[in-house]
Amino acid sequence: MTHAPATQARAKDAEPRHGPDTPLRPSDPKTRGRRENLAGYLFLSPWIAGFLLLTAGPMAASLYFAFTDYNLFDAPRWIGLDDFSEMFGDPRWRHSVRVTLWYVVVGTPVKLLVALGVALLLAQKRRGQAFYRAAFYAPSLIGASVSVAIVWKAIFSDDAIVDRTQKAFGVDVGGWTGDPDLVIYSLVALTVWQFGAPMVIFLAGLKQVPRELYEAADVDGAGRFRQFWNITLPMISPVLFFNVLLETIHSFQIFSSAYIVGGGAGGNACGPADGSMVYTCYLYVQGFENSRMGLASAMAWMLLVAVALVTAVLFRSQKRWVHYEEGGR
Amino acid sequence: MQQRKGVERRTVLKAAGASLAVTGLGATATACGGGSGSGDGTVTIRYAWWGAEDRARRINKTIDLFEKKYPKIKVKTDFQPYSDFWKKFNTQASGGNPPDVFQNAIGFLRKYDAKNVLLDLEEQVKAGNLRMEGFRAGLDTFGEIDGKLLGVPVGSNSMALVIDKPVYARAGITPEMGWTWDDFDEAMARVRDRTGRAGDSGMYGVMYLYDLYLRQNGKAFFTEDALGFTESDLTRWWTKAEKGVTSGLFADPKKVAQIKPKSALSAELAGSEFTWDNFTVRYTSEGRSEYGLAPIPTTDGKRTGQYLGSLMLSASRRTEHPAEVARFIDFMVHDPEVARIMGYDRGVPATTAQYAAYRPTDPVNKAIAAYEESLVAADVLEPVTPHPNGADICEAAFLRIGEELGLGKRSVADAVEQFFDESKTALGS
Repeated sequence: MTHAPATQARAKDAEPRHGPDTPLRPSDPKTRGRRENLAGYLFLSPWIAGFLLLTAGPMAASLYFAFTDYNLFDAPRWIGLDDFSEMFGDPRWRHSVRVTLWYVVVGTPVKLLVALGVALLLAQKRRGQAFYRAAFYAPSLIGASVSVAIVWKAIFSDDAIVDRTQKAFGVDVGGWTGDPDLVIYSLVALTVWQFGAPMVIFLAGLKQVPRELYEAADVDGAGRFRQFWNITLPMISPVLFFNVLLETIHSFQIFSSAYIVGGGAGGNACGPADGSMVYTCYLYVQGFENSRMGLASAMAWMLLVAVALVTAVLFRSQKRWVHYEEGGR
Repeated sequence: MQQRKGVERRTVLKAAGASLAVTGLGATATACGGGSGSGDGTVTIRYAWWGAEDRARRINKTIDLFEKKYPKIKVKTDFQPYSDFWKKFNTQASGGNPPDVFQNAIGFLRKYDAKNVLLDLEEQVKAGNLRMEGFRAGLDTFGEIDGKLLGVPVGSNSMALVIDKPVYARAGITPEMGWTWDDFDEAMARVRDRTGRAGDSGMYGVMYLYDLYLRQNGKAFFTEDALGFTESDLTRWWTKAEKGVTSGLFADPKKVAQIKPKSALSAELAGSEFTWDNFTVRYTSEGRSEYGLAPIPTTDGKRTGQYLGSLMLSASRRTEHPAEVARFIDFMVHDPEVARIMGYDRGVPATTAQYAAYRPTDPVNKAIAAYEESLVAADVLEPVTPHPNGADICEAAFLRIGEELGLGKRSVADAVEQFFDESKTALGS
C-alpha cells in the first residue's frame, strides 16, 4: 500500500494511452483495484460460501422455524409464538433452565477462582515455572474434546476410581454420573479442571501490574492480603471482567460434556432423572429425538437472547468494579 | 515494474486456481448425490441396523453369503447402538436419504409410514421377489399397517420374567404358567426376606409390561391413535410401584441408575426383571449367575396378554432398487444358512425354514426356544397392540418418568400428569 501514491501518479501520466477497451492492462489502477478485489473475494469465496451456507443461512432458517411447527419431514407450519408459550409452560424446560443456571452460577466462579489462584502461584519467580505453566495449561487444550468427556465418565461412574476412593474413606455414595443429584457436580469438576485458558489470561494480567505499587505498599507496611485486595485485584479487574464474560457465555453453551458424561447409559440423553439436563441437551432432545425442530429453534433463540441479556448486565456492572487505567477507556 | 507485474500474474493464476477449486468442490458435492447403479448392472444397496459388535459380525457373514448368491448386488452396511441409530435414521430420512433397507421395530412403523418413508413391500411380494409364506404363528402380518406391508419380521421375542435361578431357588419359588399378580407380590416379598435381595429391578417403567397388564384387563397401552388407558389406571400402577420401592420389593432405583448400562439383574441388585426373552443371552454374558425365564403373572389366572414381538426389515420408499431390496429381505428371512449364523441374536427366527435350520445346543438359547414353545402350547398369544405415530416417544417418556418416580423426584400425581402431557404432545391428540 505504501507505493500507492507513486503508482497513482504514474498511472495518471499514463492514462491517455489506455482506452476503456483495455481494462486488463496492469497499469490501470482502477481496474487493478477491482481485479485485486475480485481476486480477494475469490480467495475468500470458500469461507464466504461456508459462512453463508453453514452459518448465516441456517441461522436465518432457524429464526423462521422458531415460529413454526416443523418436524423435519413435513413443511413448516407458521404458528406464531406458540413454540415460545409451549416452552415457558413446559416443566421440563424450566428444569433445564434451573440446571443450566446452577451450572453457570457455581461452575464459573469456582473455575475462575482456581484459575486466579494458580495464576498467582505461577506468577511468582521460581525455578521451572515455564514447565508448571505448560503443565497446568495442558488440560484446557484437550478438555473440550469428546475423548476427555468419555474418560471423565469412566472416572466418575459406578465402581470406578472416584467411587472406590470414596469407599476407602467410608463414603459410599456410588458413581456420580449415574446419580441424579451428583452428576452435575461431575460436570462442574470437568469445567473447573479446564481452568487453563482463564489462568493464562490472568497470568498475563498479573505480569502487567507495576512492581512499584507493591514496593510502595511494602514501605507503607501493607500485608500480602491488603496488597492483593487493594493493588492486584483492582489492577487486573479488566482481565477479570474479560474472563468472567467469556466463561459465563461459555458455560451457558455447555453441551458435549453434559451429553456424554450424563447421557448415554440407559438411553436418556440428559442424565439420570434429567440430572444433567442442561439447556442445550433438552434442545437436542426436542430437535432430534422428538423431531420438534421448530420448538428446538425457538429454544435456541431464547438461549441467544438470555446470553445477550446476561452479557449486557455484565457490561453495565463494569462501572462498579472494573478499573481501567487512565486513558484506557 | 517488472516485479509488480509478476505479482499480478501470480495473483490472477492463484485466483483462477482458487475458483477452480471452488467449482471443484461444488462438483464433488453434486457428485455425492448421484445414483448407486453402475454400468455393468451391479447395484449397491445400503443396509443399516442397530446393535453391537457381535451382531455386526454375524450380519456381515450373512451379507457375504448374500453377495455370493447375488453377485450383482453389493451391500453397504452401517450400524449404531439403538438410540443413536434412530437419531441418525431420522436425520437421514428427513433429508430424503434413508438407507435402502434397515432394521425396524413395531413402535416406528406408523411413525415413518406417516412420514412417507416406508416402502409398501406388497408389490414386491406380487412380483415374486419376496415370499411371505412360511412364517411362524401369524408373524407374516406383524408388519402390516392399514393393508400395507411395511416390515418383514426376522425373529420373534416375547416379554418374560427373567429370573436369577439360584435366588429363586433359595427363596423357594417356582413360578407356574397362570400365576397371578398376588402370587407375584408374595414372591417378591419372599425373595426380599429370604435372600436379602430386592425381588424385581423396577417394573413400573417398562412400557411393554404395563401393556400386558392393561391387555389382561381389556385395555392396551395404545389405541390406533392415542393412549389406551386413563390417568387413574396409571395412578394405580404407579402407586403400587411407589410402595414397592419404599418397602424394598423393587431394587433401589438410585443404584439401578448408577450401575447402567449393566442391568440390575446381572448386577445382583434384584432377583428378576421383566424384559424380552432374548435378553437372557445378554445377562448370561454380563452376570455371574444362571438366568431363566418365568411366565408373565396374570390377572385372571389365564390371560397373560402376551404377543410375539419382532424386529423387522423395512425398505425405504425412496430406494432406487426395490426389487433387489426385496430379494435381500427374502434371503435374510428364509435362507437356512443365515439362521445358523444369526442364532437367536434377533429373537427366534421368524420363518419355519430358519427355525428348523437352527436348533440351539446351549442351555440359554434352548430355554428361549422352550419358553416361546410353551406360550404357543398354553395358547396365550394374542394379536399385537397397535403402536401409533409417536409411540417411541411415549415409551421413552414412560421409562424416564417411571425412573424419576422411583428416585423420589416426582410424586405419583405429578408423574402421571407429566406422562400424559408428554404423550399427548407426542401422539398429537
